[in-house]
This record gives sequence, C-alpha cells and structure tokens, in this order.
Amino acid sequence: MTGSKSKNKNRAILYIAILFPLLLLFVSLCLGTLRVSLREVLEILLARISGGPADLLTSPAANIIFNIRLPRVLLALLAGAAFSVSGASLQSIFRNPLVNEYILGVSFGAGFGAAASMVLFSRNFPPQILAFACGLLAVVLVLAISEGARNTLVAVLLTGIIVSALFQALLSTLEFIASPYALQALFFWLLGSFSQATWPDLAWSAPLILAGLVFLLKLGWRINVLSLSDDEARSLGLAVKRERILVICLATLITSAVVAIAGIIGWVGLIVPHAVRGLVGSDNRLVLPVSAGLGASLMLLADDLIRTLFPYEFPVGILTSLVGIPFFLYLIRRARTSWS
Amino acid sequence: MQIRVERLRVRYENFELGVDSLDFPANRVSALVGPNGAGKSTLLKALSGVIKPVAGSIFVDGQELARLRGSDRARLVSYVPQEHSAALNFRVFDFILMGRSGYLDIFSSPTRADYQKAEEVVSYLGLEALAGRRCQELSSGERRIVLIARALAQDSKIILLDEPTTFLDLKHEMEIINLLRKLAEDRGKTIITSVHSIDLIPRLADFLFMIKNGRILAAGPTIEIFQAELLGTLFDYPLRVVEAGGRQLILR
Repeated sequence: MTGSKSKNKNRAILYIAILFPLLLLFVSLCLGTLRVSLREVLEILLARISGGPADLLTSPAANIIFNIRLPRVLLALLAGAAFSVSGASLQSIFRNPLVNEYILGVSFGAGFGAAASMVLFSRNFPPQILAFACGLLAVVLVLAISEGARNTLVAVLLTGIIVSALFQALLSTLEFIASPYALQALFFWLLGSFSQATWPDLAWSAPLILAGLVFLLKLGWRINVLSLSDDEARSLGLAVKRERILVICLATLITSAVVAIAGIIGWVGLIVPHAVRGLVGSDNRLVLPVSAGLGASLMLLADDLIRTLFPYEFPVGILTSLVGIPFFLYLIRRARTSWS
Repeated sequence: MQIRVERLRVRYENFELGVDSLDFPANRVSALVGPNGAGKSTLLKALSGVIKPVAGSIFVDGQELARLRGSDRARLVSYVPQEHSAALNFRVFDFILMGRSGYLDIFSSPTRADYQKAEEVVSYLGLEALAGRRCQELSSGERRIVLIARALAQDSKIILLDEPTTFLDLKHEMEIINLLRKLAEDRGKTIITSVHSIDLIPRLADFLFMIKNGRILAAGPTIEIFQAELLGTLFDYPLRVVEAGGRQLILR
C-alpha cells in the first residue's frame, strides 16, 4: 500500500531529522582554527561528564571546546530550530506561505528591544525580556493594521515592511545615541552571528527556546486545524482567537530569545518549512519536528561553513539573507499564480 | 435532537437576520430555501455557533448554544461549509480526522479511538480510494463528500450543511441527496441544509423553511408548503408545481 510506504518514508525522514543535528554537533566541535579530532572531542566531553582527568579538562583544546565552540554550536542549533518551527507555525495559522518572523516584523521588533535593553540597562539585565515585548508589539501592530483588508496576504506583507521600517528607524536612533563602544558591539550583533555566544547568554535563552519548541510541537495538531478557515476551525470546537494568539506568542518568544543573543538572522523560517512540506506533506505533527531538525542542521552547517571558509567572522545573518531573498522572490512568483 | 430558535437576531457582514421562533425537528431533513442573500448561510452559521447572535437564543436539546464551550458545541453540532479552500494540502484521511478535534484537549493529538472513528466513517462512505490522496487533488464532488465525512467523524447528532450540492453534476448531486436522507433515516441525524435548486426539495427534505430578506416567509412540512404560490412569492417569479409519478415537480 502506498499509504504505509509513505508512512515509513516519513518516519525515516523524522529519525534522520532528529539524528543528523546531533551528529553534526560533534563534527562541528572539531572544526575551527585549532583542529581537534572527533576522538579527542568525545574524550573531552566524556571526561567532562564523568569528571575525568584534570589535565585533559584544563587543556587548551578542552577550553576552546567548552567555552567557545560548544555554546556557539548549541546556539546555532537552537536558532535554526526556533526560526524554522516558528516559521512553519506562523505560515499555517496565517494560511500564508510567505509569512515568517522577518516579514511579520518580529525580527526587527525583537532586535530593537534587545538593543534598547543593551543600551539602556547593563549587560547583566537579560535582553530577552525587552526583545520579547517589542517582538510581540511588532506582530500586534502588523495584525492590527492589516486587519480587515481585502487582500490579507498582500496587506500583511506591506504592513510588515512598514512596521519593520519603524523598528529599524528606532534602532538607528539607538545607534545614534549609543556610545562608540556600545555602537560597535551593537553593529556586529545586529548583522546576526553566533560568534559571541556565551554560557550566560544561553542560560537565559536556551530554556525559553526549548520550552517554546516543546509547546509548539505539542500544538502540531491544533495548528493543522487552525490552518482551516476561522469558521471551520470554530465549528470543529476550537477557541480560534485564543489558540491563534497562543501560537503567535510562542513563535514570537522563541524567535526573540534567539534574536536577543544572536542578532537578526532572517529567512531561515521561510526556506526550511517550505522544503519540509515538499518532503513530508502538510501535517504539522510531522512538519514541525522535521523543520526543527532540518533547520538546526542547516543553521549549524551555515555557521560551520563561515568558520572554516572565511578567514574572518562573516555574519551568518548576511549569508541567510543572500540565500533567502531570492527564494522569497521565487515563492512570490509562485504565489501570484496559486494563492489569492 | 432538536433545535429551537427564539427571537434570534444575527448580524453578519452588514446583513441582519431576524427569526421570531423556529423549531427544527429531530431526525429529519430540513431545507432552508430562498433567493441569494436571503440569509440562509447566516442562519446556518448562527445555528452552528460559528457566529454569535446579537440577541435571542438557540437551544439544542434544551441547552443554550452560546453558553456552551467550543468543544461541547462541536460534539452537538457540526457544520459543512460549501467550499473548502485550504492553505495546506492535507491528506484526505488527516482532513477527516480533524472532525475529532472537539474531543481533544489543546495539547493532544488524535488517539487510536479517534483514528478508529475516522476509519469507520471512511468505510461507511466508501472513501477508501480517496483516503490516501491529498485534498487539492480532489474533484469538487469528492471534496463535498470529504467535508461531509469530516462532519460525520465529528459524531454530532445535528449536521448543518451550506448548499452541499451547488455546482455538482447530476450524479454527485443525487449521491449527496441520498446520503443526507440515509443519515437522517438510518443514523438518526438531524439534518439542516440550505438548498440552491428548489427542484431537489421534494426528494430531499421533510421540512421546508423559506427565507426572504432576512425573515422567515413560511415554515412547515414540505408536503404542505411546497406550493406554487409561496415559492413564487419567495423568488419573485411565477412558478407552477405539478405532480408526476407521485412526486411534486417545479415548472418555471
């Protein structure tokens, strides 16, 4: 039967999507200016877990792996998963394949929030809080302004551009008033990069991202039903408005938590879910976890490429935009014919 | 399970519908008929709880619809829209499975029992060949049946349908008519459906509700009120009803 065959295929894809990022994690720890063999990496990790020999744990390689590479690699994985899952969820509940955190203004909203936090408060105050608040404010603005428009697809895109422009202007204002020292940090952070990842940053963002991901994955079936028309979803028993707000809040939360420490990295949430739906179909019970795995892998691969190919730290946010924008144009061309 | 409407006022997209009092009998097929824009769809949406009335009440088996939680309402009443335009291209079986959502809490997915229910519906309607396909590959006739299948998976006693046969060819039209009759007669469902072509009514409906300009013009058993004069007033066009082969036919 074709049904069970496709079920097996989908299951295989799901396992690969879960295992591949794990595999990639170990390989990525080897990469960098100081080459460390996979064997050494594993020995160091094991020693750390089991409290192994002190000389191994205090070696330069161990130091680099724990304090520089591991937080960076983990942040890349979390960021890829967060952007992809939030993109897939938002596309479903807005019934719009072009929507993502970038288009909805979340990225620049959260970016402004985090930057404001860095400039106004000390670095000890977690930037995630203002990032989330402003990210949410941006989506609310986009939705409120575009509500009731005849062509919601176009209205949301246009409003998103306007709201993003507003937060970019606010960001520029911040840059203008920031001290030269803060300005430089702000500039590189905004371009989007995992190079500054530290454990204290992750200690705030990682739990938020993981919790948000778990809840969104558990909402997979609901998100399926929310992708129907409002009337249909309501007649099937859903509290449409409340449930949609919950999904938007969770998607904004995980995106803001990444933006707060890695800056603005766009378009991942557009590309990954689209590719995944091509692979496994539309069911979000499968699309969301596979997007998480594939997104995490791609993000880490992109960062690995940057670390190994470029002699200097090229911002990963620029790379994703250079790939993502042509892809977005391609989707818009297709949308003209198949969506209205 | 019967539906009772009292002093209902519903507003929907600059349109107002007012119904003093109506009873839809249990385990029967009731048809809503009237010109375009008369308020058939609005009434159906109100009966399904999709839109909330401005005033008045709808009682389903004595329970007021507006006071029920969404999931409780979904177990009592299901609603089959006229068309389904989906952003996502679901597998037909998963689409039918969505009818079970009212039985699931927000963070859970369909269980084995839900799958069984959906499989039962698939075999009842003979949809095995469609179940593995994707919704966007279906013809419009197949899509209507799949929408009805989703309502059956919802397992509610009352099923509301918005013009389920419009734009269908004769064969599919008759398939749906026969299915609705079977659901009322064999499965004890209370069917309320709006109907576009009045020729179908005598075959389909036990009870007839004529709606014009947001008001009820006439309501009663089809045998009694399926008359040329009333229908002519309803559509502002002279019609004749003749009998042939023991059945009422419309002549225009």
